[in-house]
Amino acid sequence: MITTKDLTKVYRTRDREVTALDGVDLHVSEGEVFGVVGQSGAGKSSLIRCVNLLERPTSGTVSVAGQELTALAGSGKRAGKELRAARGRIGMVFQHFNLLSSRSVLGNVELPLEILGYSGQERTRKARELLDLVGLADKAKAHPAQLSGGQKQRVGIARALAGDPKVLLSDEATSALDPETTRSVLQLLRDLKEQLGLTVLLITHEMDVVKAVCDSAALMKNGRITESGTVPELLATPGSELARELFPVGGVPSAPGRTVVDVTFHGATTTEPVISKLSRTYEVDISILGAAMDTVAGKQVGRMRIELPGSFEDNVVPIGFLREQGLTVDVAAVAAAARDDENTDAARGTAGLAKEGAK
Amino acid sequence: MTWSEIQPLLFQGFWDTLYMVGWSALIALAGGLPLGVLLVLTDKGGMLQNAPVNKVVGAVVNVGRSLPFIILLIALIPFTRFVVGQSVGSTAAIVPLAIGAIPFFARLVETAVREVDRGLVEAVQAMGGGTPTVVFKALLPQALPSLVAGLTTTVIVLIGYSAMAGTVGGGGLGSVAVQYGYQRFETSVMLATVVALIVIVTAVQIIGDAVVRLLAAGRGGAGGDGGASRRLARLGRGRTVAVAAAVVVPLALIGYGIGQGGEDKQTLRIAASPTPHAEILEYVQKHLAAKEGLKLDVRKFNDYVVPNTATESGEVDANFFQHKPYLDDFNKKQHTDIRPVVNVELEPLGLYSKKEQSLKDIGDGDTVAVPNDSTNEGRSLHLLAKHGLIELKPGAGQEATLGDIADTNGLKFKELEAAAVPRALDDVDAAVINGNYAVDADLNPAKDALVAEQAKGNPYANFLAVKDGKQHDPRIEKLAKLLNSQQVKKFIEHKYQGAIEPVFGSVGS
Repeated sequence: MITTKDLTKVYRTRDREVTALDGVDLHVSEGEVFGVVGQSGAGKSSLIRCVNLLERPTSGTVSVAGQELTALAGSGKRAGKELRAARGRIGMVFQHFNLLSSRSVLGNVELPLEILGYSGQERTRKARELLDLVGLADKAKAHPAQLSGGQKQRVGIARALAGDPKVLLSDEATSALDPETTRSVLQLLRDLKEQLGLTVLLITHEMDVVKAVCDSAALMKNGRITESGTVPELLATPGSELARELFPVGGVPSAPGRTVVDVTFHGATTTEPVISKLSRTYEVDISILGAAMDTVAGKQVGRMRIELPGSFEDNVVPIGFLREQGLTVDVAAVAAAARDDENTDAARGTAGLAKEGAK
Repeated sequence: MTWSEIQPLLFQGFWDTLYMVGWSALIALAGGLPLGVLLVLTDKGGMLQNAPVNKVVGAVVNVGRSLPFIILLIALIPFTRFVVGQSVGSTAAIVPLAIGAIPFFARLVETAVREVDRGLVEAVQAMGGGTPTVVFKALLPQALPSLVAGLTTTVIVLIGYSAMAGTVGGGGLGSVAVQYGYQRFETSVMLATVVALIVIVTAVQIIGDAVVRLLAAGRGGAGGDGGASRRLARLGRGRTVAVAAAVVVPLALIGYGIGQGGEDKQTLRIAASPTPHAEILEYVQKHLAAKEGLKLDVRKFNDYVVPNTATESGEVDANFFQHKPYLDDFNKKQHTDIRPVVNVELEPLGLYSKKEQSLKDIGDGDTVAVPNDSTNEGRSLHLLAKHGLIELKPGAGQEATLGDIADTNGLKFKELEAAAVPRALDDVDAAVINGNYAVDADLNPAKDALVAEQAKGNPYANFLAVKDGKQHDPRIEKLAKLLNSQQVKKFIEHKYQGAIEPVFGSVGS
């Protein structure tokens, strides 16, 4: 549904060049929610703006719903008629909502309909339908300043759906919202996707968003996509940075000379009593150092960090057993020798978290 | 002056000010809004990024903003005449006022539009909106409160500018204050006009602020309580009222302006300096003209250029403010054909002092203030030379300057605008003051001057003047006869007590 080929974007200032996108190939299939994650400055924002050509890519192509947008763009900075029509069929929601404070909620949803040329009555009827769809029918007369953050984003979503788009772009749509509101807005996106058959491309720096709504995800670093795939695929990929970020598990070995293994459960294995089988079969004592369990795209997914006695060489067989059971197994790079460092790191991490919490 | 005399001045001034400011503000709005938006759109990173256009528009705006208004007022006279068909009067003053205000308002618009969140522009573009959509649906509505605040500021600046409209006979409160308060020492009039101006400026600011508040409130504050919808409905009504007022007030002003137009062809229009020329003409108008079947329209000017250019162009039929040396010089430099008709009065230049009792006390080390315009300065130096205070170089003409002095006898000179000289009298040892300004400053040339010019054979007598060929217009002949009548002679002698002397008859060459 959305395909970018070798997309590059270079910002030129008087004395230097900044490469925001460095040959990005992205493919978003019809009907999926695709999340691009990465730290700020990784190029996510440039990427999503290149998809509807709010930013002109320096080179490369963008196709949406079978139409090559980069071919529609004129040479100048101004968007031609065809490009504007194509944009009308792509919805976009923004981190800071970008609602007009000069218009009522209804007026904000009517704006894209005015651009699309709907007549007055038709416009109001359709805008009311859209507000109903996002659960804000009773706020039509209110002004954006009177709404909460979550309500504002719902208006933003209703507005983005005005052109009956097949594709919705979400630029950090929940980053300005609290966790509770984030959940309800994500749930709305998920529902709308099912209901309207939308394809959603979202960018975010929050792993929770990916966990909550994404079918597929990609990791962006320094203008490049370093990992990409469906969430189960990523979880099944040994050494996947995304999988580790999605399900971070902590814990350090209790004594030197032990082996620490990160195990990822997905699909059928989640219901199998794998750990107790391992313990019984090989008569090993297993300590669980940390674990995380969640539902991703409707499926139970978990990660666990376990500790086996003895060195890696002593544990080749049990690890092999785990792999045979269909689990993804990574030997964690935490050695007991590094334990003191780990502690300091963990302490630092805790302090950092405490600080985050204080915000 | 008594209140009953001040009141009509104030009333007329008030309407003239409203008329000029109302129209010029509307034009500034129409011109400044697109310019300001264009500045934002063509700027770097703007939707219509265009460096050459941006630079040119920016430069035009900067030039417009850096010109002193009084310069603009004079420089635009030909353009004004082209646009509104005349270069004098309230309507003519609107042109330079509007042109002065357009760049000012354009910059305020630019600032207001720039403040609009770029995210909104992006959102409209993402919906498929083009530049016009962005401008009319996002930028302008979002910037509306700031734009109204900017317009309020512009109107207030225009009220200030309009004080200078007296230069082209535009009238208005400001020029009433200058004419009566500054030049004629009528403190009561000045106070009254200043108070009226303060009231107007305050009212404009209050109305502007109220509209801004209404617009902001219409967008809803944070938190919607139970009465929110009722409050919104009420605010909605308030906004309607504000918009209605914004439409009705300028329309009322326009209506007033149209009502001002239309005048009798038979009426003789005469441009004159306020004192004493306009006063003498008004005496004729009130007491003598009707019997001769003559109608006069006396227009007052603070300036010495516009009355002549207006006479040349036929916007007025005659003028009465100048003397022969000035007119000869003007005709030569401006290529005009204005001819004197009949002498009326002389304002003898006199040397005054608050420190010394007689001419011989003035000498080495003393400072003498003289007018700084070419004719009055030359005239002053000739007066001083005649009485032996200085020696002029041989051949120094009527426009002698300080450079033409051969021997100052130790005197020092201070050059000031003619009207300002009486005010400097306390600060200098002596001053050469024009008769009319001396009277305004409560000095009597006959009694207070150490020396004064002689009326007989004086080339500086002021006369009625017309464009060549109009000398024999029967209306002009009638007016000339009345101005040289016994009644006028008595009026001048009685009213000015020697400060101004009647000098009748034909003008010598």
